[in-house]
Amino acid sequence: MSEHISFLIEKLPALLFGFSGQRPGGLVLSLILAVLAVAVGFCLAVPVSSAERSRWRPLRWCAVAYVEFFRGIPLILLLVLVHQGVGGVRFGLNWSPRTSALVALALYSSAYQAEILRAGLAAVPPELVESARLMGSRPRQVYILVKLRYALRVMLPAFTGQAISLFKDTSVVVVIGVAEVMTVARMALGADVTNAPYWVTMYTFVGILYFALAFTLSRLSQRWERRSRPSDLAHSFFSY
Amino acid sequence: MTPNWLTPDLLNLLLQGLLLTVVLTAVTAALALALGVAAGTMRISGNRFAAALAVLHVETHRNLPALVLMIIWAFALPNLFPAELRRSIFFDNAFLNWLSSWSGLSLPYYTLAAGVALVLNTSAYLAELFRAGVGAIPQQHVDAARTLGASRLKLFWKVLLPQGLRTAFPAISTRLIHHLKNTALAAFVATPEFFHSAQTAITRTFLALEFLMLAAIVYLLLAFAFSGLLRWVEKQWLVAGG
Repeated sequence: MSEHISFLIEKLPALLFGFSGQRPGGLVLSLILAVLAVAVGFCLAVPVSSAERSRWRPLRWCAVAYVEFFRGIPLILLLVLVHQGVGGVRFGLNWSPRTSALVALALYSSAYQAEILRAGLAAVPPELVESARLMGSRPRQVYILVKLRYALRVMLPAFTGQAISLFKDTSVVVVIGVAEVMTVARMALGADVTNAPYWVTMYTFVGILYFALAFTLSRLSQRWERRSRPSDLAHSFFSY
Repeated sequence: MTPNWLTPDLLNLLLQGLLLTVVLTAVTAALALALGVAAGTMRISGNRFAAALAVLHVETHRNLPALVLMIIWAFALPNLFPAELRRSIFFDNAFLNWLSSWSGLSLPYYTLAAGVALVLNTSAYLAELFRAGVGAIPQQHVDAARTLGASRLKLFWKVLLPQGLRTAFPAISTRLIHHLKNTALAAFVATPEFFHSAQTAITRTFLALEFLMLAAIVYLLLAFAFSGLLRWVEKQWLVAGG
């Protein structure tokens, strides 16, 4: 038992922060990847969700195809597709695993966020938009200050759920070998046969790390939602 | 008809992988639905111990990434045992041999482990969805059944199960499609399913983009077909169950 604990303690800094002397890795990198992917994914989701609601059909079809493609294929496939297929040597891109992981995760997340955003935009009361127009707001102001803000508020639980889910999904990037917590765990165990008894300890610990973060984040977001949930959405929007 | 990079033996390899993906998805989805309904029911059963057990199951398996769960079951668990014992328990026993000869598929232990992990992971989500579905049943329906003298078992079979499933079905469908995509993770624990065979084809031919795009299209078609099937099931249900 004690050698299992000392094995974990020995590997703990690498699991949390990556190997010393290298760029940040481990659990910190998992979090960074998740946060960046959600942020980039949101920036992609805004135009895509608008295109999905466009009046021009070809644009709408393109947006729907985009969402269906990235939501319809497994993340593990998307990661390998981005890393080996698109970002590989064939197109002269030669992306590092980190770049590929970020691109794939952002695309994956953007499709889900676009769907959430679309539902949120569809829920904006037309009166709200009309009164904003009547007051002389420009289209961009109406979009950002009225529609987007409203959509974000109603869909807040869906967005936080997606973000937490994406954090757990970052575990899959181990297939292309980014130095996040799963890859570090794999490297720490290595090919050494004498390490075999430590496998359960190591992966149970990695599981506990994921569990602790995902569980805490979902509890926090629940509490946050409960506090910020308005009794009357339109009213609280104006008294915001 | 087929492009020249798709040679017959590679096609054969991919089709075998596809077969395993379909079987794995069907079997694990059905088991996950059963376990999910069971856990959801335990949670609302009123029995404290059963409810606590269900909460433990749901919270554990919802907050762990599916891949971590798979690695624990497939790679970590056998390593707990000394080499001799490990072989006889996990890799070379009568049950596994019987299972693969009976099903006609090559089913190494890793496939079973991946299946167990998938069932546990998805059932945790389904339990919550089923519980929410049951929660949406009008109280009058339950009261009516009780007034008519229905036993607890009858109440469950005739009211809670069909109506809960029906209400939760759209959300359950979404989760099951996600489950289909999650089976690709099993490739990481050496399960010879579709994504794994696509990767094998790539290492043989070095044509990454071609096989990956092919795999993407196949997964899209699978998801499309599966969602069609689920819609059909839902429709049958809505018509059949009054």
